[in-house]
Amino acid sequence: MEEKKFIWGSPWGYRASMFTVAAMVFGGFLLQLLYGPFNFYFLHRPVNYIVGALMLILSVLSLSAKNNELAKRLSGIHLAASLMVFLLIFSLIMGLTPQMTSLPQNADLWARLGFAQVTSSWPFIIIYLATLMSLAMTVARRVKERRKGDLVFLLNHVGLWLVLAAAGLGAADMRRHVMYVQEGQMEWRVHSDDRQVMELPLAIRLDDFIMEEYPARLAIIDRKTGAAQPPGRPELYQFDPEKSKTSLLDWDIQILDYHYQAVPAGAGAYQYSNMPASTQAVQVIAQNHHSKIIRLGWLSPGNSLLPPSTLFLDDKFALVMAQAEAKRFVSKIKVFAQSGQETEAEVEVNSPLRVGDWLIYQYGYDNRAGRMSTYSSFELIYDPWLYPVYAGLILWALGALGLIVQGKPGRGKIE
Amino acid sequence: MTWAHFNWLAPPAIILWFLASLMVMRRKNKLADMFMIGGILIFAVFIVGFWIGVQRPPMRTMGETRLWHSFFLSAAGFLAYKRWKYSWLLVFSSLLASVFAIINMLKPEMHSIALMPALQSYYFVPHVTAYMLSYSILAVGTIASLIQLKKINSGKPDFNLYAFLDNIIYIGLGFLMLGLITGAAWAKEAWGHYWSWDPKETWAFITAAAYLIYIHLRLREANRKITLLMLPLAFVLLMITWLGTSFLPSASGSVHVYS
Repeated sequence: MEEKKFIWGSPWGYRASMFTVAAMVFGGFLLQLLYGPFNFYFLHRPVNYIVGALMLILSVLSLSAKNNELAKRLSGIHLAASLMVFLLIFSLIMGLTPQMTSLPQNADLWARLGFAQVTSSWPFIIIYLATLMSLAMTVARRVKERRKGDLVFLLNHVGLWLVLAAAGLGAADMRRHVMYVQEGQMEWRVHSDDRQVMELPLAIRLDDFIMEEYPARLAIIDRKTGAAQPPGRPELYQFDPEKSKTSLLDWDIQILDYHYQAVPAGAGAYQYSNMPASTQAVQVIAQNHHSKIIRLGWLSPGNSLLPPSTLFLDDKFALVMAQAEAKRFVSKIKVFAQSGQETEAEVEVNSPLRVGDWLIYQYGYDNRAGRMSTYSSFELIYDPWLYPVYAGLILWALGALGLIVQGKPGRGKIE
Repeated sequence: MTWAHFNWLAPPAIILWFLASLMVMRRKNKLADMFMIGGILIFAVFIVGFWIGVQRPPMRTMGETRLWHSFFLSAAGFLAYKRWKYSWLLVFSSLLASVFAIINMLKPEMHSIALMPALQSYYFVPHVTAYMLSYSILAVGTIASLIQLKKINSGKPDFNLYAFLDNIIYIGLGFLMLGLITGAAWAKEAWGHYWSWDPKETWAFITAAAYLIYIHLRLREANRKITLLMLPLAFVLLMITWLGTSFLPSASGSVHVYS
């Protein structure tokens, strides 16, 4: 068999490639033991630009070196597959063992070798960079060869390279801060990781914070322990304002009246009110399947100003309205950038605002106050690499579509 | 339109999809096409009518999401079938689409189950449907790989089956990567990270890497058995990604616990 040939001979096989990658990993372990986890800050601009540019220059230079064995090997499929095998092994370790954000003082050898923080371990970073290099050289070679039907190949590999380079190396330039802004006020200060007050080049004025809730869910609880019933797998009924009958445990429950905003009106009843302190309330009639006992009353989850209302069903159980869940929360803000640019926008989950290289995300609010929250918090992320990553994602997605339409190129469809 | 109309429109669509599956199995392809398109059109009409009816994009509740799943699964499955002429693609996708439609009819109380704000996104449906399609297609690839392994053991590998296997894995991987890409773009929009090595993300990466290894091993002659064994192995990893992440010690605190 061919494989009997000396492993470093030409053509380079899987064995030589696996040895090469294993050697890189071994070197990574040594670095890890010597210097501890990889510090991403090291790749901070301009280092990441230089690394990326070097990769591109080297891969273009490798083209001019005719029949260069090393270039062939580095851009070959054997090395690519071997790198993937090691990436698979590292990600399996990540997927199977708990990962830590920081190492304890008395970390064992496993943790000190980087297995407890795989993504910031030297071996992983080295494999990542080698994968980037191998991708760049493969793309360069294939562009030069100009093979027919290489479009899908190029879309996938160029897209992946852009994503891995811009999102990976670019991660070193990202900064994230959480900013708390009171309604009606302007804020530009955040706390850094070491609890120092920092000023950002953006200021946010919170003009309004709006929170919408889902209709609060009904549940039966144990009057003594407060545990939702049945214990272990509590049944919660999310009623639909249009459909108002259900049964919970042994009780048929009918909704008679529902207010999204209500205040107590005396004698246990509630009435509509648009006061800021209003809460949800529902009037129900409940009948027990067996004893046919009927209970009538109002339920409310209450809030930080109003007490909750419950309905005692019998000696043991009570019907309650659970804390309402957030449907959406929106902050109406005005952003002032140092450049003088002013932007007004509504920011909510899944809909961040972009101002220059900053992205402003709706982060949170006062959970205990719910819709009465007087502040809103934002995560501000500085990310100058957004466009290259999105360009990469789009190319890669087109490549994925290409795979679906084209299948494996070079072979006809087999009926 | 409201959900009340759904109970009148969904059964005919399901029946049409069922008929399409029957026809394609009997090689009556024209009829199959007509039935399939008919079912998809009924769904399209309902979605448009319902959108107008609720006066907002119907992507908020679980029931509404299932509506899109049915629509996209049937439409994408039909297109993939037209391209590749594998009749099981049509049968599979119409079956999956019908399951979601039936859940919406039988469990109407699940319509209004709340979607937490992070899930309310136009990425939700393409993200989940792409993964569902890829999982079903890769399942077929796994079965085919087991058949081929058996044939190799008896000394008679089927070379047509190799070509089928390669194509099917390319298609399945294509959908898998679309799921991953939409997931990364969505995560950036919701949390500001493309990829945070959440346990589900780590396992999605593992699964994708395993299929990528298969594809690259097939390009240069490697040991055929080892290469083929990658497929059942990759599918085991895929099942862990899909179902197992809730049980892994490394997975406590995953953002995907609801899925």
